[in-house]
Amino acid sequence: MPLLGRSLCAASGPGPLTGLRLAVKDNICTKAWPTTCSSKILENFKSPFDATVVALLSAGGAEIVGKANCDEFGMGSLNIHSAHGPVVNPFGLQDGEVVERRSAGGSSGGSAAAVAAHLCDAALGTDTGGSVRLPASYCGVVGLKPSYGIISRWGVVSFADSLDCVGVLAQDVHTVRRVHNALAIYDSRDPTAAPSHIREKAAQLSRSHLQQTQDDGLNGLRIGIPQEYFPTELQDNIVAPVRRILEQLRARGATLVPVSLPSTRYALSAYYVISSAEASSNLARYDGIEYGMRVEPPPGADLVKTANVYAHTRSLGFGKEVQRRMLLGTYALSADAFENYFLQAQRVRKLIKADLDRVFCVPNALNGSPSAPADGVHVLLHPSAIQTAPKLPGKDDANAESSTLDAYVQDVMTVPASLAGLPAMSVPGGKGADGWPIGVSVVGQWGCDELVMRVGEVIESCQEHS
Amino acid sequence: DARWPGWELVVGIEVHAQIKSRRKLFSGECRAVYAALMRNMLRLGAEALSSDLTTPPNTHVAPFDAAFPGTLPHLNPKCVELGVRTAIALNADVQHRSAFDRKHYFYADLPSGYQITQQYAPIARNGRLDLEKDGISVRVKQVQLEQDTGKSTFLPRNRITAIDLNRAGMPLMEIVSEPDMRSPEQAGNYVRTLQALLRSVGSSDGNMEQGSLRCDVNVSVNRVGEPPGTRCEIKNLNSVKFMMVAITCEAFRQISLLERGLPVAQETRGFNEERAETYSLRSKEDAPDYRYMPDPNIPPLLIDSTYIDAIRQRMPELPNATRARLLVQGLSQRDVEVLMDVDSGREVGFDGQLGHGAVAYFDEVARGRDPKVVVNWITHELLGQLAFRDETFKENPMSTEQMGDLIDLVQAGKVTGTSGKTILRHILTTRTPDLPSKIAEDLKLLAASDDGASLETWCREAIAALPEQADVVRRGNLKVVDKIMGHVMKASRGTAKAQDVRAMLLKLL
Repeated sequence: MPLLGRSLCAASGPGPLTGLRLAVKDNICTKAWPTTCSSKILENFKSPFDATVVALLSAGGAEIVGKANCDEFGMGSLNIHSAHGPVVNPFGLQDGEVVERRSAGGSSGGSAAAVAAHLCDAALGTDTGGSVRLPASYCGVVGLKPSYGIISRWGVVSFADSLDCVGVLAQDVHTVRRVHNALAIYDSRDPTAAPSHIREKAAQLSRSHLQQTQDDGLNGLRIGIPQEYFPTELQDNIVAPVRRILEQLRARGATLVPVSLPSTRYALSAYYVISSAEASSNLARYDGIEYGMRVEPPPGADLVKTANVYAHTRSLGFGKEVQRRMLLGTYALSADAFENYFLQAQRVRKLIKADLDRVFCVPNALNGSPSAPADGVHVLLHPSAIQTAPKLPGKDDANAESSTLDAYVQDVMTVPASLAGLPAMSVPGGKGADGWPIGVSVVGQWGCDELVMRVGEVIESCQEHS
Repeated sequence: DARWPGWELVVGIEVHAQIKSRRKLFSGECRAVYAALMRNMLRLGAEALSSDLTTPPNTHVAPFDAAFPGTLPHLNPKCVELGVRTAIALNADVQHRSAFDRKHYFYADLPSGYQITQQYAPIARNGRLDLEKDGISVRVKQVQLEQDTGKSTFLPRNRITAIDLNRAGMPLMEIVSEPDMRSPEQAGNYVRTLQALLRSVGSSDGNMEQGSLRCDVNVSVNRVGEPPGTRCEIKNLNSVKFMMVAITCEAFRQISLLERGLPVAQETRGFNEERAETYSLRSKEDAPDYRYMPDPNIPPLLIDSTYIDAIRQRMPELPNATRARLLVQGLSQRDVEVLMDVDSGREVGFDGQLGHGAVAYFDEVARGRDPKVVVNWITHELLGQLAFRDETFKENPMSTEQMGDLIDLVQAGKVTGTSGKTILRHILTTRTPDLPSKIAEDLKLLAASDDGASLETWCREAIAALPEQADVVRRGNLKVVDKIMGHVMKASRGTAKAQDVRAMLLKLL
């Protein structure tokens, strides 16, 4: 893998991305456009530097057409928590008119919608707990969350550092791969970037297994079906299309293997504790002092205690969902709760990683002495979401308590891959009973992004034939 | 202790020493392009005051230091190296695995809302610092790496607080002692000894007045024989002297409370230098919950024995070793003190490069020469002349070659001691790079090497020029010889040795 050079000249001659038009999620820093993270607190904020991924896109010859709407700071699953207003799923358009107002998913709803509406060829999003895969599923496009540490996060506004990944959305896997390969480069400015020798080790470990996906034939490919990924919340009409795809894969030679990942039922809680805790830490910097929106304390307000001065800016600048998560996260880190919430969630995370390492036949290159069961599976397959795109809530019910928890449940399928840092991609898998798109997720061992993309391509071709 | 009969004082000290690395702890380099951009972007402006008057505020600030969105930390390996050097010098156990935590609180000089520190897994543990003068050994609990904050200055006229982020993100070593000190003097000695140690290993300037070393002191009192009392922390002490005064004041304050039957509340206090008293900053109830969280961006710091041993091999000489070595070479206690005192003022280079101070100078010149003679020339003549010119050793232009050559000339008798001093003065004034041998020739200071022929000539000329004085001497009044000697000295332009002149004159007369 080539190392990132210090100077990246702007797109001049032809590059690997020439001819591609890209949208960039608004939590990724760009010098040329404001980077607001869809938040009032960063209204009109202009970053003094481009994110590494942005520089790589330009250097590769891509044309960046603009910034995409998203949930504020990446927190949300419906893209309704945005200072710019909600994103409407383009699948509900007919002849340019919105016949049905449904959510595009979140938090990278704007990126997925822009691709689905053909406003661009591909888009960058970020995926912390499913924020690229969920909107891809709802909008009927391809969405890839690469292995954690493969694409640089320098210039990507942190929500939860241990979970954040830059993701790629496009109409097909071929285009996703094109963009992914241009961005999967080691960057020394990102301390969590996987070093070259680890990337090489992963490539080595997965090399022989790539044979299983040559020439559309899948002989020897073992696909794991995780038993715990069919929760009660999963709508019936989702299972049928997924089953159809599994049949087609089996017809092409793949072996379907039921597997068990027992810690899955704790994954959602662990995810929300860890991501909220990290978010409360990462968003402490938004104080109106160095940059961004500033609200002056009104006359008579306490000016002595710093936190009280900041509160005016932060209460007005942050939306309700962000405030909710920060309060939860702060609580999880407080002295009283730390052991039972934050540390417990980390223990669960370890269990989830261990579960996954036990099922794959490819060892995890991140582990000290990686080993894997010989009869393990190459990839996992499961529905990306529990439902098709939900209706956009009206003005009144955006903050209703029940809808908050329902919104969190949407992530139940996607968070385990996030917690383990594994590559996962949602590809269109047919339609639900209401005719709206359904996504199917392929998950691989760490560093097996190419294998995941190959299986995704096969699923694509299944769709063409069905 | 006569100041508080029946009572015991228990003191522990937390020292924050700024690591003298070229770059900050996590923000890599600060390029000029960022400096200009940052000035435009930051709303902090030129009102902020900087303690270093030569550096304008908010110019050494990378986006990471100002907590700009999208920035990430990058650990500076030089800081780790200097931290390990310090740990070795303190006889501490360097940890093979240490980790970084975020310590959260809101304050305007802390842009990210948290400080990156090593609360739970510091880089070194269980060291000690021996205080020879007091005959005690103070245990060092741990050494940890952490970020410094920016500087905030309250401007009373505009009633705003100005923030300068030049210091934000600078690397610090926090050195935490156990409460092993029993008097303000021991505390002062601890800090001074630590300063000398840090400077000698090259990890910090260790200067309290300039802010590269800060001390927080923990003080408690108890009646003799009873367990230690409640301790109070005193922060923001600007000098060793004031630290000692503050400890004394705090001891009296606590004793006074306890003697009246009142409890000592556990709190953090500041020290008012003018009133010589401590005052409450924050009580235990107000103590914030820092919500420590492992920093997810920084992988654990893994240090192996090979790395530690390599640093141990390259360790510069520590003060105790230097002192012992110089004494063995025959220098007097006093000479050693003077030399080391001057040496402690030497420049500490960036990134652990060692500057060349008075001891290194001495070592170089003393090679192949009598160390006692060398040390005299350095401490008496050179330092004396520099002091006369209001200069310090830092401004010394005389190279070790020049000094060595001069000493050789005088020892060989080629120039007199007086001429030698003249040559030294000449070098200091003109800052010439010429060797003293050449200067002696140019200034005609070389003693005649003709077995006394020119000496005889000068003496005869002097006797001829002063016939009355010559007669007085002939008649037995030897005191007058000095007058004739003066004439000879003038004629010889100081190249003749006084004893030889006297002897020759007396012989002729």
